[in-house]
Amino acid sequence: MRQNYFEWILIASAVVGIGVSSPISAAAPTVMNPPPQAKDWSALGSLPDWSGVWTPNITDQRRRVETDPVPWNKAAAAEIAKLEAAERAGDPKGLFVNCLPESMPSWMLITHNALEFLFTPGRVTILGESDGNRLRRIYTDGRGHPADPDPTFHGHSIGHWENGTLVIDTVGVLPETYIAVSEAVGVPNNGELHVIERIHLETPDILRDDLEIIAPRVLTKPWKTSRFLFRQRARKYDIVEGVCLQGNYAEATDAAGDAVFVPVPQTEGGNVLPPSNEPGKP
Amino acid sequence: MIKSKRLRSFAILAALLMALPVAAHHSFAMFDFSKSMTVKATVKEFRWTNPHVALLVEFSPQPGAPPEVWSMELTSPGNLTRGGWTRHSFKPGDRVELVFNPLRDGKHGGAFDQATFLDTGQVISSDLRAAEKPGLQ
Repeated sequence: MRQNYFEWILIASAVVGIGVSSPISAAAPTVMNPPPQAKDWSALGSLPDWSGVWTPNITDQRRRVETDPVPWNKAAAAEIAKLEAAERAGDPKGLFVNCLPESMPSWMLITHNALEFLFTPGRVTILGESDGNRLRRIYTDGRGHPADPDPTFHGHSIGHWENGTLVIDTVGVLPETYIAVSEAVGVPNNGELHVIERIHLETPDILRDDLEIIAPRVLTKPWKTSRFLFRQRARKYDIVEGVCLQGNYAEATDAAGDAVFVPVPQTEGGNVLPPSNEPGKP
Repeated sequence: MIKSKRLRSFAILAALLMALPVAAHHSFAMFDFSKSMTVKATVKEFRWTNPHVALLVEFSPQPGAPPEVWSMELTSPGNLTRGGWTRHSFKPGDRVELVFNPLRDGKHGGAFDQATFLDTGQVISSDLRAAEKPGLQ
């Protein structure tokens, strides 16, 4: 009996022990990213040259909404119709005035700003402009997606090269982020978003991104469309830092003589107003 | 002195929409692109910030009326840099003839179109779609 008592204590301790330690001991073996070797850096030289800064074809973005119509489902189509009517009436909804990232896939669909590509062993990184969070990490080291990725604004992207084409698969995007056709027209993806992209040089200085957007909560079928970027090499096109929220503030000097940011009045739609329009002030 | 005119042709309106300074984080549909205002104004402040650069100017809406401060919106510093702008393109006290499209709701804001410096005659404008080709200098 006494022996059984101690056995139960041991069993209970083991259970408690397992309970405490299971997040570590039961986890998959830690995967270490291997240090790149000289051959890995050399291999980058065989990839297509995507250097420089890339500016979007904005006119074509608008045109593509007509030529590649979005297969919205009934509920989404009704929302889109209201948003389009509001924009036509001069009362656009500001989908991005909160300064959260345009996210995937809207960054690729509607950006008006430049971006650049960085190639490093096992990864392609896309860096954007105007919004400090415009950053995509695309793993090209052969890994798969996590089984249950934490949803993020740009999702989890894995890619591989097919000749000169980078094929990217993106999942794990926050359901609240928009599938947008303009800054004022779009709906949240509502979950289960999956984006497949094929990016390649269509001409020596025009990059083409063929997108297949799978969003079963708002689309009746995958939306296939393309976007185009122009290569610039003039130094004045170099990417500059941009923090969206900075526009909510003006530079000022406080009573202590310190340089500070002070909020500026804005309309609901995000338009900067002069101080005289600030509520409660003359 | 405000010079306001209605553009009668849809084609002209469409052309204006193509040339307007677009910005990343909100639509510009709240500006009335059928209405162009031209004023002689004094620069109060030039905010070189993302996502929209802002130019605050002061002018009298009518002869003899007290001056008002209005805010003009543009695209981002990065996009303007490529058009030859810098954070020093305007300084407080500059006198300009300013062309803009006002907010539809009557608030004191507008979409910047063009400015002419009254002391030098230099004209400064912004057309983001002029960058829609590769290899620009």
